[in-house]
Amino acid sequence: MTPAEEWSRRLDRSLIELGVEPAEARRLTEDSHEEARGAGADPSELYGPAAAYAVRLAQAVRTPQPRLSTMPAGEVVLRLSGVSKRYGRHTVFDNVSLTLRAGEVAAVVGANGCGKSTLLKICCGTTAPSGGVVERTARIGYAPQQGGVSGFLTPAEHFRLFGAVHGMGRRKAVSTGNQLCRRLGWRPRSGLSAARLSGGTQQKLNVVLSELNSPDLILLDEPYQGFDQDSYLDFWDQVLKWRDAGAGVLVVTHLLQDLERVDHLVELHRSEDQ
Amino acid sequence: MSVNLRQQWLHGFLDVCLLCLLAERRDYGLGLTQRLVAAGFDEIPGGTLYPSLVRLEKQGLVETDWVPSATGPRRKYYDLTAAGHEAVADRIGSWHQFRDSVESLTVQAQRARAERLG
Repeated sequence: MTPAEEWSRRLDRSLIELGVEPAEARRLTEDSHEEARGAGADPSELYGPAAAYAVRLAQAVRTPQPRLSTMPAGEVVLRLSGVSKRYGRHTVFDNVSLTLRAGEVAAVVGANGCGKSTLLKICCGTTAPSGGVVERTARIGYAPQQGGVSGFLTPAEHFRLFGAVHGMGRRKAVSTGNQLCRRLGWRPRSGLSAARLSGGTQQKLNVVLSELNSPDLILLDEPYQGFDQDSYLDFWDQVLKWRDAGAGVLVVTHLLQDLERVDHLVELHRSEDQ
Repeated sequence: MSVNLRQQWLHGFLDVCLLCLLAERRDYGLGLTQRLVAAGFDEIPGGTLYPSLVRLEKQGLVETDWVPSATGPRRKYYDLTAAGHEAVADRIGSWHQFRDSVESLTVQAQRARAERLG
């Protein structure tokens, strides 16, 4: 096998591992090979190492996922009316209102310590508001900032556990979980417990668990902390895909870039700033 | 200016640069690389260029065609679709806005610096 053929074989295999359809992987591989021949260059010179090139190509061709939510588009999936949170005499935030519909993205922004995570916990129901009304759809997915995964369990065990909560069969839960991982450019190795994954990969697991049950509302708390730059771009891609698939998505962030893509902005201020 | 920073910047603007080059005329990969260099950019690695072209194709802005060559292996040519031509006009407008914003800040900063030194 020539080095160019060896490179192509590796590219093809890596693309398939990254979740690209085999037919498309073959087409991309043949095109890359042919294009290098046309340029009179060795593929590894023109494109760099096959495995790294596969990651970039896979990102470029990732296709929108089929409709996820069963909600009719435009249905309200989350409504906050005058929600406030106080601890004793300290007001964290006051009078927050939001109407989020299926097929929309909302971002919660604000400096550290202004209550973004608290608001998200109120949205998913693990913390009670001090005032106001929260209405939400029944099927939600929630990726907290910390503690969403258990270090002793492998990704597959997480999928079975979370799948069981949603009444999914074991096999279905694992295959759905693995498929969702590949969309974030990650292929879990079997037998590796979550504690041995990098911080960024643990967060990917967190995100995957939040969408295992095809929820109508997805709540994410800065899930890209620890993601590298490429995964960060992938993540926003993924948010837009969930939206296009009909879910409502609420993302907590302290980054102001990418906000032109969101439909609603909830800005929280530190109470002493008000 | 460091090569690294220039590459990061180009990375963000590569799509619009490629669309503009293709609006002028259709081209193959190596031709696009050479024209980017002629425009004053550093040589762009194939590992960055081709995924961008694939993405533009996936978005329906670019179409491709294999053209036989008299002298060697066939070449893959990239050309704008009708949607691609529309996107060029749209992105040129966005770019002008963006450029003006950056420009106004740099002018302010230069003025402030001149006053401080003067």
